[in-house]
Amino acid sequence: MGKRSSGNNRRESIHRRGPAAAGMLILFSLLLAAVLGYAQIQERFPKPDFQTDYTRPDLSTPLPRAQVWEYVDIAVLIAALVLASYFAHRLRSRRKIFWLMVFSLVYFGFIRQGCVCAVGAVQNVAYALFNTGYAIPLSVIAFFVLPLVFTLFYGRTFCAAVCPLGAAQDAVILKPVRLSSTTAGLLGMLPVIYLGLAVLFAATGTGFIICRYDPFIGFFRFGASFAMVLFGAAVLLLGTVVARPYCRFLCPLGVLLDWMSRLSKKHVKITPDTCSNCRLCEESCPFGAIHKPNPSAQSPDKQTELRRLAVLLVLLPVIMFGAGWAGSRLYVPLARQHPTVALSEEILLENGGKRAVMTDATRAFRASGKTADELFEEAGRIQQRFRTGGWLLGGFIGIVFVFKLIGLTILRRRPEYEIDAGACFSCGRCFSFCPYEQLRLGTITQKELEEMEREGKNGSGAGGTSPMENNQNG
Amino acid sequence: MDKPSKKEGVLYRTARGVAVVSGIFALILCVLLIANFLQTQSVDPLNSGALTRLMEELRGNPEDTALKEQIRALDLLARKAYFTRQWQIRTGSYLLFGFVLALILSLKYMSAFRSRLPDLRKGPGPDRTWEEKLLSRRSLIYTGLGLFVLALSAGALSRSDLRRIGRAEKPTVSADFASAEDMRKNWPAFRGPGGNGVAFSEKIPMEWNGETGENILWKIPVPMEGYNSPIVWDGRLFLSGADRNNQAVFCYNTENGELLWRADLDDIPGSPQERPRTTEDTGYAASTMATDGRRVFVIFATGDAAGLSMDGTRIWAKNLGLPQNHYGHSSSLIVFEDRLLIQYDQNTGGRLIALNTRSGEVIYDRPREVEISWASPILVDTGSRTELILNSNPSVVSYDPVSGTELWNIRCMMGEVAPSPAYADGMVFAVNDYARLVGIDLSGEPSIAWEVIDDLSEVSSPVASGGLVFMAASYGALSCLDAKTGDLLWIEDFDDGFYSSPILSGGNIYLMDMSGVTHIIKAAREFEVTARNPLGEKAVTIPAFMPGRIYIRGYKNLICIGSGGDGQP
Ligand code: SF4
Repeated sequence: MGKRSSGNNRRESIHRRGPAAAGMLILFSLLLAAVLGYAQIQERFPKPDFQTDYTRPDLSTPLPRAQVWEYVDIAVLIAALVLASYFAHRLRSRRKIFWLMVFSLVYFGFIRQGCVCAVGAVQNVAYALFNTGYAIPLSVIAFFVLPLVFTLFYGRTFCAAVCPLGAAQDAVILKPVRLSSTTAGLLGMLPVIYLGLAVLFAATGTGFIICRYDPFIGFFRFGASFAMVLFGAAVLLLGTVVARPYCRFLCPLGVLLDWMSRLSKKHVKITPDTCSNCRLCEESCPFGAIHKPNPSAQSPDKQTELRRLAVLLVLLPVIMFGAGWAGSRLYVPLARQHPTVALSEEILLENGGKRAVMTDATRAFRASGKTADELFEEAGRIQQRFRTGGWLLGGFIGIVFVFKLIGLTILRRRPEYEIDAGACFSCGRCFSFCPYEQLRLGTITQKELEEMEREGKNGSGAGGTSPMENNQNG
Repeated sequence: MDKPSKKEGVLYRTARGVAVVSGIFALILCVLLIANFLQTQSVDPLNSGALTRLMEELRGNPEDTALKEQIRALDLLARKAYFTRQWQIRTGSYLLFGFVLALILSLKYMSAFRSRLPDLRKGPGPDRTWEEKLLSRRSLIYTGLGLFVLALSAGALSRSDLRRIGRAEKPTVSADFASAEDMRKNWPAFRGPGGNGVAFSEKIPMEWNGETGENILWKIPVPMEGYNSPIVWDGRLFLSGADRNNQAVFCYNTENGELLWRADLDDIPGSPQERPRTTEDTGYAASTMATDGRRVFVIFATGDAAGLSMDGTRIWAKNLGLPQNHYGHSSSLIVFEDRLLIQYDQNTGGRLIALNTRSGEVIYDRPREVEISWASPILVDTGSRTELILNSNPSVVSYDPVSGTELWNIRCMMGEVAPSPAYADGMVFAVNDYARLVGIDLSGEPSIAWEVIDDLSEVSSPVASGGLVFMAASYGALSCLDAKTGDLLWIEDFDDGFYSSPILSGGNIYLMDMSGVTHIIKAAREFEVTARNPLGEKAVTIPAFMPGRIYIRGYKNLICIGSGGDGQP
């Protein structure tokens, strides 16, 4: 005991000196400055406005990136996925996963500047499905399909070490707080809505909102609009205390990966050995992906549970239809995001005399020689597509909503600590918290293990037991 | 193992040191970047007072090379400063990034020392899985309901006029133009309502004298060069002016000649950087404006066209393409309902363009197989339909103003056509010097009823009424012909020639010669002069006739004539 306390004292004293709060404050100001800095880079200098003999050179379009690089990207992606899965499943090494994550951040983030990206690829696929004229590049298909396939086999190892967006957030986790399951559950609806909207906007040719609102692209490229840098900085700042906020509560691809991961053939476990419920891994996951055992959970009788389930199943089509209807009612504001519809509404405003001054867009349109009737007709067609799209969007959200409710209606009893396969990023942080893992690695002896188990059962172990802690990797 | 490890302590302290140092450096960079940002925001080098002043000076003195050099030097300086700041920001950002990275890594390293093991002394606590699920379920249901209501209300609150179009219905816009009756009460275009040279207003002054000031109500200097004639609508008089550097529209109070507004139109998208060459007697603003009673429209020799509200707000403006015109574009505008009609005949071929009066967008743009011309279109109601009639070489052509479809086409003209056609009682009259004056009979298949080849007008447009046609030649002859047969009834010579056109008002022909004298002659089969009214200055424009008033744009002044004026504005 005495020895243990001395270890604790050392840590506590280190902690008192550890300026974590001050560090965070500084970080905040830094991010603010970065925002201002990056935002300025985007300013453009206007052309001189008096006439000279100078003739402006013709516009030249840079050549497309050589085809070979596309294959290089795919090869790097495959290699990274294979390694990530190997590190997580075979080597069970957080350290190796961490360095692979750093590599991905550098390569896919800073070198490839966040493009091509698996998260955004969802939109290209949606666009290609609804617009026959679009030839979707091979690399985009690969970036969409491969992470999903790997997840179906090995869980979200893509999130752990390959996705640069995840890596950027993982790198800034400093003092993660645990969100209540209610908060996490509610926020978990956001990615579903975002995914639905992104697919709708991509399919209707409105735009790729995931790319437009990618919070990290500004950092990867050292330049973005003020608002986007601000958004990115906010996400990273939040990420110091709420681990991977974008991955968990916004990432649209995360929705698909979550589903795939639940179905995955093999998923990482806290320990490949039997769990002794020693509780040491309880707080190891910054993402709240570890379920505690609940052998004694109080729930109503099976009858009530079944009745609730039946009611939900019966209500499924009703909720789906209702949500679809609500979604379809939103077609006007949704369609307004489409450039053609937005332009039409501006033209209508001007033509109706409700606005006296033309915008750049309406001026350009009026100079184009196209008639307003043609424009309105096209805009009307787009609105109708949004009406249909609104039904599908609402219906999709409705289904997910009902299944979430079903998940909350059924009580699954867990005899031991278990990973939530949908939410787990396979980051490997929890592995080293398991004393059996340490025993296997040879960092503790059987005797030490038994001693720990005894203490754990007595409830006398203090936070921070010596042999364990030195083997954890943040 | 249980003793505080020396190596660990050193590493921890090193990490802390790195965190502190990188934190401080990053903070300093932060302050510098923010200061730089604020500075860039507060100074606008390109719109500095000095530069604007010099630019202003250059406007008035476009050939001053020294001034240009000075501007260039100042501009270069501003650009250099800008790019230096850009470099500073970029470098600062990279450095900041580096320091933040170091800070994060060191903080992260330090945080690895923090225990993330649970406090096992506390025990696992009661199992609340089911209660948590219950709470989650409730909040999810409430949130779902909230979203549902939100979506419905957002849908209900959002309006879109496109909805109606989406249902294949045109938006119902009430007639956004003045009635034909209101047009007759005003002077909405070149040569009056329909451009036909007939004034419908009453109590038109018969006598005035610009030299003595008799019956001159007010007189103000013309604000800017231009051979266009004034148009008048409901107490407001509009005219345009342009030179090599400026284009503008002016609006005056018809009561007192007070300038109500001036709208500058120098920044129209697509406007040519270099103004086209024009001759001195055409200039850059020869085309007369037009109005639909709701807005006014203007076109310049640059091909710039614009629609302005009655209070001078620009509604739309666009360039129709630089006119290929060796004298300068001079065809005037005319409005039919919601269409602004433009005769755009050029060296490279002609076009008839209809623009939406509310938006300026093209409704139709019909190519015309004609040579260049300077004449203006007229709009006539033939009883069965409204026709838009254009005089040009080689054809007089009639169009449906709504669709731009050609209704008929008669080849009879040649040369450089400037006079506009005239219409009365089912007959169209078109003339050009060195070609002919033709009477085209529209009863049945349109055809030439007669033609005359003497004393033809070169610029001035004919006018017809009561079975008579009047035509003024630029050398000073006014002839009167029988509209049905083309027989010459009389011809009279005047001291000065005519560029302005005869206007018919209350049984009289008002015809102003180049010296500014308006001759009032009975519109009759016999020649009879009623009055001879000098303006006091030269003029070549068309007077605007309003009840009890005539407005004339002279070379120097804009003059309002009415009974009771003493000439001292
Ligand atoms: S591997 Fe462990 S720590 Fe990492 S996300 Fe999954 S459960 Fe959490």
